[in-house]
Amino acid sequence: MKKVIYILVAIFVLLIFSRQYAPTTNEEGFDITAFSELPVQDGGRIKPLDSVARNTLLVLSARQKVETPDGRWLQPIEWLMDLTMRPEVADTYRVFKIEFPDELGLAGLAEPGQRYYSFNDLQPHFSTLLELYSKVDPEPQRRSAYDRQIVKINDSLMRYHRVMHSLHPIGSGERLDRLVDEYQSFQATVGPGMDALRRQQAGDDYDANVLRRFISFGDDYLKLSQTAHMRVIPPPPPVDPMADWQNVGEALLDVMQGKSLNPFVTSYASLTMAYRAGDSESFNRTVRELQQSFEADFPASIENRVYFERVFNSLQPFGVAMQLYVLIFVLVCISWLRWPEALNKSAFWLLVLTFIIHTFGLVARMYIQERYFVFVTNLYSSAIFVGWGATLLGVIIEKFFKNGLGAAMASVVGFCTLIVAHHLAMSGDTLELMRAVLDSNFWLATHVTVITLGYSAVFLAGALAILFAVLGVFGRRLNHKMVRSLSGMVYGIICFGTLFSLVGTILGGIWADQSWGRFWGWDPKENGALMIVMMGAIYLHARWGGICGERGLMALAICGNIITAWSWFGTNLLGVGLHSYGFTEGGFYWLSVFVISQLVFIGLVLLPWRYWRSDFGREKHLKDRKRILMAAPREEV
Amino acid sequence: MSPVFKFFASLRLTVVLLALSIVLVFFGTLDQVHYGIWHTQKLYFQSFLVVWAYPEQFPLYDKLFWFHLPMPGGYLLGGLLMANLVTAHFVRFKLTAKKSGIFMIHFGLILLLISELLTNLLSQESQMPVDEGGRANYSNAFRSNELVFIDRSHPEHDTVHSIPAGLLRPGERIDVPDTPLSIRTVRYFPNSNVGRAQAPVANNLADSGSAVTMNIVATPAEKTFAENEINTATAYVEVSGPDGVLGTWLVSNVLDERFPVQEVSYDDRAWEIALRFTRIYYPFEIELIEFSHDRYPGTDIPYNFSSQVRIHHQNPAKNQQALIYMNHPLRYEGLTFYQASFANQDTTSIFQVVRNPGWILPYISVLLMGLGMCVQFGMHFIKFLKKKKTSA
Repeated sequence: MKKVIYILVAIFVLLIFSRQYAPTTNEEGFDITAFSELPVQDGGRIKPLDSVARNTLLVLSARQKVETPDGRWLQPIEWLMDLTMRPEVADTYRVFKIEFPDELGLAGLAEPGQRYYSFNDLQPHFSTLLELYSKVDPEPQRRSAYDRQIVKINDSLMRYHRVMHSLHPIGSGERLDRLVDEYQSFQATVGPGMDALRRQQAGDDYDANVLRRFISFGDDYLKLSQTAHMRVIPPPPPVDPMADWQNVGEALLDVMQGKSLNPFVTSYASLTMAYRAGDSESFNRTVRELQQSFEADFPASIENRVYFERVFNSLQPFGVAMQLYVLIFVLVCISWLRWPEALNKSAFWLLVLTFIIHTFGLVARMYIQERYFVFVTNLYSSAIFVGWGATLLGVIIEKFFKNGLGAAMASVVGFCTLIVAHHLAMSGDTLELMRAVLDSNFWLATHVTVITLGYSAVFLAGALAILFAVLGVFGRRLNHKMVRSLSGMVYGIICFGTLFSLVGTILGGIWADQSWGRFWGWDPKENGALMIVMMGAIYLHARWGGICGERGLMALAICGNIITAWSWFGTNLLGVGLHSYGFTEGGFYWLSVFVISQLVFIGLVLLPWRYWRSDFGREKHLKDRKRILMAAPREEV
Repeated sequence: MSPVFKFFASLRLTVVLLALSIVLVFFGTLDQVHYGIWHTQKLYFQSFLVVWAYPEQFPLYDKLFWFHLPMPGGYLLGGLLMANLVTAHFVRFKLTAKKSGIFMIHFGLILLLISELLTNLLSQESQMPVDEGGRANYSNAFRSNELVFIDRSHPEHDTVHSIPAGLLRPGERIDVPDTPLSIRTVRYFPNSNVGRAQAPVANNLADSGSAVTMNIVATPAEKTFAENEINTATAYVEVSGPDGVLGTWLVSNVLDERFPVQEVSYDDRAWEIALRFTRIYYPFEIELIEFSHDRYPGTDIPYNFSSQVRIHHQNPAKNQQALIYMNHPLRYEGLTFYQASFANQDTTSIFQVVRNPGWILPYISVLLMGLGMCVQFGMHFIKFLKKKKTSA
């Protein structure tokens, strides 16, 4: 039987992997992979086009795929190709996610059950949208949900428009089919045009036609330089990694100042023409040329990072880990009913595997960001790291206790934090750069890492306490042995969590002393960390002093969840203080839901013993009654 | 053992106090939205009692406006925790190897509480703006003001007579030391709106200086506690010589170098009179050689701020050069200079200047606490491992 179970588990894991990594092919023979690796400077760092495609899609539609009107699914990079090179087709794709389309007040837009809309769907409503947008409160914190939705649609449209204009000017299909010719005639116009301009200013005779053409090119490209979102034109060699790249418009305007046209501009134009003509051969050749010139000019370390980021994007380690966490939890749950040994063992090894995948994701991000040992750089990465820490602790306690409890709860925390991370990723690039004050590898690696590990520990302890409540009240199987190991785990992890929270808080104090001249400033985030430390202290003192019983201690551990969630997200919602990075919209709602759910669990764990269905609870109840019965007659005497 | 001792040494008290501390810290965080960090700190953590009122901005305010929550303030809780800890150590604990971790944690905690108190009482924060190529030998404390009389008659130096704004209570007469002058405050506004009227002001309290020549009027305003706002302190000050009143001047910290100097003269001597942010003078000058502000390529996201400075001390042996940038302050003569801000299109650098004699204490205390926890939990862990081994 054991072998069968192992094989079954292995098949499940393989299923998850194959679903994730099913190869995608492109029938027309375009080398999409090579195209997606082309470098671009965006948000202050050099990344592959693939990342821009994915992040843009995340912002617009909160997912990384696009459905075409004929029901095919496109990868982000394929969508980006259509957006920039075949805009007339891309405008029919439903990429704008609108949460409540029928509440917008745009007559004729909403379709029942449809939350995704295309550019063409929205176009008739532009004037109404603009009017609504102009009425929105300029102060983001005072905006209603409706206002926020209007702002989101406007921002999304703007972003769509700007990304579309990234590789070359956009116009009718005819213009896009003749881009190379356009650039040539532009270059040919520059000399005579400048001449005509000079003559006009000097009051001499000049060719009015040439001047008009020259000026209309200039206006057009100036507009393009203000619109184009991506900086796709690298500076000429020798390359300084801190130098500004140009967008296409800027590179074209340079020609008017007597410089020669950057070959990247023409290459992107030929790419577009080849793609539109379905000429995969010349498309692939041009992509290769672009790649080669990038490789020739830039150091290998930058190229490797860019190429690796593309691979990392497609591997989606956190997505796989999320599915594996679910599998682990299910395995442990089944193990409580049947085949405990084999299933526990598989759950443990699966947890180890997931931990390795999770770790790979973390290390890969560090490599791309060139920040080793810096696990946490923003709210998104903190969510990833909290899950990682909980899994690590889960592996360790599972090693000691071998009863599946640790694995189950570690997988729950891992899964939940990855879900949180997934939603935090909607705001754009998760590998964004850090503001100056925060930009200190040493402190990021120590203070932030340690404090986030503290979060992991408190959450894992809280999850175990919830398990105690649920198993104890609803289940039958909770017995003394399990309670002993559960309370041992919770105690151990809280010790760990308190230590890490304290050390992390202290390191934060030292950092603050180094950068602002005060060890402690009562900043919301500092206060949050302090609250976690005090919560840990309360638990430990209550336990050592025998102040609370089993249930009280577990309730305290669940309280830890609330306080940690407050410290992690609540303080950011306040929007004050030095740490208020990453204001999370809608975060307040989810935080409230979480807090209420935890209060319910606290209520559950504090239920009198007589409502407990488990052996452990019933025994306790009997003991209580016996004590009352024994005490009663004595009182009468 | 007396019940009082027993009460103060009990673990139950510890738990209750810690729980109250969590509550205090929570509300002390919430109120920062309305009062800013600085004022909330005074209200919650440097006080004995505080009352939280249901904020207007919260939902259901019209039904819950009456809700007020009194709670013990930081000084009270800190003091009680300290008393609890100290008595517990006298009553219950014996210093043994097994308890050494706990002792370290607790001693570190006591030290931390003391250091926080010391910081509250002794530390001083001010800001020093320096222009590129310029020098400064003083910093401004933006939360306090001083009334100054400056005698510029000496060719080599000025003499500044300073009266802290806290002493400017209406009606009280104060002699300006080392001068024949004395002052009487007519009115004092901790915060005010100062503006210029089109025509001469009716019932003007001032009869001399800019208030008359420039038609300046001041009206009181509510004190602000916001992080990045400044209180415009204004006073009407009557100045007298030995023979009687010389006049009443309006002085305000917004009437700074941009405005004409106001002067009091008596017996062919003259003093500039001004109300300004309290200046702290140093026996050295800081010269800003260069300020740089780097951005990430292709963006406006700041990447680094740094100031190259040279210090000219009255004692040339103490001269030095330094680069002050993010996370790398300059510690000099018991002061610490931080890169705080910048102005004037990146040509002025603003340093935060902090004097905190107790800055080293938290370092010691946290070292103790961290070490103590490692020892304590390490011992628990080893015990746990041994038990596992014997049971297995």
